[in-house]
Amino acid sequence: MESLNSRIRLLWIAQGAIVAAILGAVLVGVDRIVVDVPMGVIAAVIAVAAILGIAYAVRLYQVWQFELQDDALYLERGVVTFVETAVPFVRVQHVDTQFGPIERALGLSSVVVYTAGSRNADVRVPGLTPDRARSLQDTLRELAVESDTDDAV
Amino acid sequence: MNRLHPLSAVTLALRRALAGLFVALTVVTGLAAFVDFVSGAWMTVAVPLGFLLGGTYGIVYYFRFEYEITDTTFDVSSGVFSRRSREIPYRRIQNVDVRVGILQRLLGLAVVSIETAGGGNTEAVLNFVSEEEANRLQREIRRRTAKATETQEKSSADDLEDVPAADSESARDRNEAGDPIEHPDETVDGRGGEPSVDHESPSTAAQRRDHAKREKSLFGLEARELLLYSFTSFRPAVGAALLFFVFIAIDPVINHLLTVAQPVGGPEDLETGTAGNYGILTAVSFVYAVAVTYLVSVAYTFATYYGFKLSRAGQDFVYERGLVQRYSGSIPAEKIQSVTVTDNPLQRLIDYAGMWIETAGYGPESSSGSQSAVPLARKSRVYEFTERLTGAETPKFLSPPELARRRYLARYSIIAGVIVAIAFGVSLATTLEQWYLAAIVFLAVPPAAHLRYVNIQYFVGEDHLVVRRGFWRRRTTVIPYYRIQTVSTRRSVFQRRLGLASVVVDTASSSSFSMTAPTIYDLELEDARDVNITSRKQLQRTLRERAQDDDLGLTVDFT
Repeated sequence: MESLNSRIRLLWIAQGAIVAAILGAVLVGVDRIVVDVPMGVIAAVIAVAAILGIAYAVRLYQVWQFELQDDALYLERGVVTFVETAVPFVRVQHVDTQFGPIERALGLSSVVVYTAGSRNADVRVPGLTPDRARSLQDTLRELAVESDTDDAV
Repeated sequence: MNRLHPLSAVTLALRRALAGLFVALTVVTGLAAFVDFVSGAWMTVAVPLGFLLGGTYGIVYYFRFEYEITDTTFDVSSGVFSRRSREIPYRRIQNVDVRVGILQRLLGLAVVSIETAGGGNTEAVLNFVSEEEANRLQREIRRRTAKATETQEKSSADDLEDVPAADSESARDRNEAGDPIEHPDETVDGRGGEPSVDHESPSTAAQRRDHAKREKSLFGLEARELLLYSFTSFRPAVGAALLFFVFIAIDPVINHLLTVAQPVGGPEDLETGTAGNYGILTAVSFVYAVAVTYLVSVAYTFATYYGFKLSRAGQDFVYERGLVQRYSGSIPAEKIQSVTVTDNPLQRLIDYAGMWIETAGYGPESSSGSQSAVPLARKSRVYEFTERLTGAETPKFLSPPELARRRYLARYSIIAGVIVAIAFGVSLATTLEQWYLAAIVFLAVPPAAHLRYVNIQYFVGEDHLVVRRGFWRRRTTVIPYYRIQTVSTRRSVFQRRLGLASVVVDTASSSSFSMTAPTIYDLELEDARDVNITSRKQLQRTLRERAQDDDLGLTVDFT
């Protein structure tokens, strides 16, 4: 099983921080417009949200793993709900590499695997170095072509 | 290239003209309010101008809209300023639907929709063509789809060393229908828009026409079944529609409810009345709303499924239904992803059930790929149909462990607790004092948990996975292994504590009734992993088998 690049924690922590900041902003707004919210309460809420965010990011990183098996891309992820997904290579429609602004700053990128499935039709493997992402994309593409059957939707 | 029916030029022009008129009206009104030199008097010029421009646009649109049946694709080009030409390969077409509304029926018109698996929208809508043209299109597309599939199968079969003997069900079917399998020059590429019939001997062409025309009836909904179906199905969407109606006509509705509630002790009007009065009014309104919703839903179901008929033409299913608005459509059997048997408590009580087939396309009204194949029939018949259609053996259902029921007990207790808490909150804000009466909902917790538990079942078959779930609308889905897209095992925090897991089996069907892919809930972790691994292995095995053998995996003559 392969783990993600450890820098992905920073991305997730940043996302948690953004949520905490939004929460803080909302509370400040409530304080100004609706009822008085003591400064201490706001600080405490932000602090708790930030700590939870960090804990979540760390735990998610520990949990996230993926592996190329004989017939499928296999992933394990999830903190609250732990999900193990197998994406058979035959079912891969196309494979993308993507990165957002924060990911780019951290030198990370994601591989997104699309299937014809109804829900969760796309499976994302985040936190890969650009090289690893490209090699994973190539491997998946080759495996998908290799196992191609005459069974498109 | 073909155009739409000339009458659609009229409707298109009218529709655009009205839109143009409306735009002119809005723009002038808006400008007059903010800009000084624009006055309301401009209307006299602007409005007719908008009307004219819109009308012209509509007419030009009509002339710029063309469609064509070519050898390999169905082409549509449209657009006045920005042109769009779209080519849909026959092999990718999921279903072809024909819709005939009441006015259209009087004028002999029809709307044809062509669906593929891609995107959320219908890929091509011909609004509208004459009824004969609609039928011709449906037939032609079906015929060409069948041919494209056949040619492809043949070319892939040639690559293999051992061409399987033509003794599989589908191959025999085609032979007996007289379709030539030997046609080496009939490749999918080349030969542009030339009608392929030219290359065939007259007798095969005749046979083929015969084959396309020959429809074999599979199932017709009888009057008794239609009535039972109408009275036993409930459509929550109708409730939402009625709510909207109430919203726009609030005063007459309230007056009407007041007059209805008065004889049984309702208040004179909304101002004067005691708490008891209001209570009665609320209760009466509620019962009334439920009754009206139910009746409208019955009428709707009756009108939609009136005259339902399912037949097969070649390897396609063809259905027809509707009283006011006629629907007809065709679904290629090879596009079917899964088959689902549905029943609700009432239908179970009288031992009836319905069968739906699911594709990756989008149906005419449900915005999902489920099409009713058998709206309602005796349970034994429906199960027999399902088994014959999919070739699945009679399932020997397994249940999740008893532990799962405990989970539902806990879950529903929490929900009941929340309801009581809300009641308490309401009692703080209003004069209601008996909030603790809400605790009565706890009585419903054990039966609810039990019913949820007993309706979760699964069966891991030779070639299929059967998943059953739901109490109000129980769905038993038969998934052929070769249709599986992804398999997941999910464990929430609570499930992990109990050592349980859910298995989600995703197929390409665009909607499986509820918002979730077929899921087997709360298995023991080990069993869940077993199901997961088995599904993956069987997927690979069945795909290999299908590659060698052009067996469709479905029996089209299932009744």
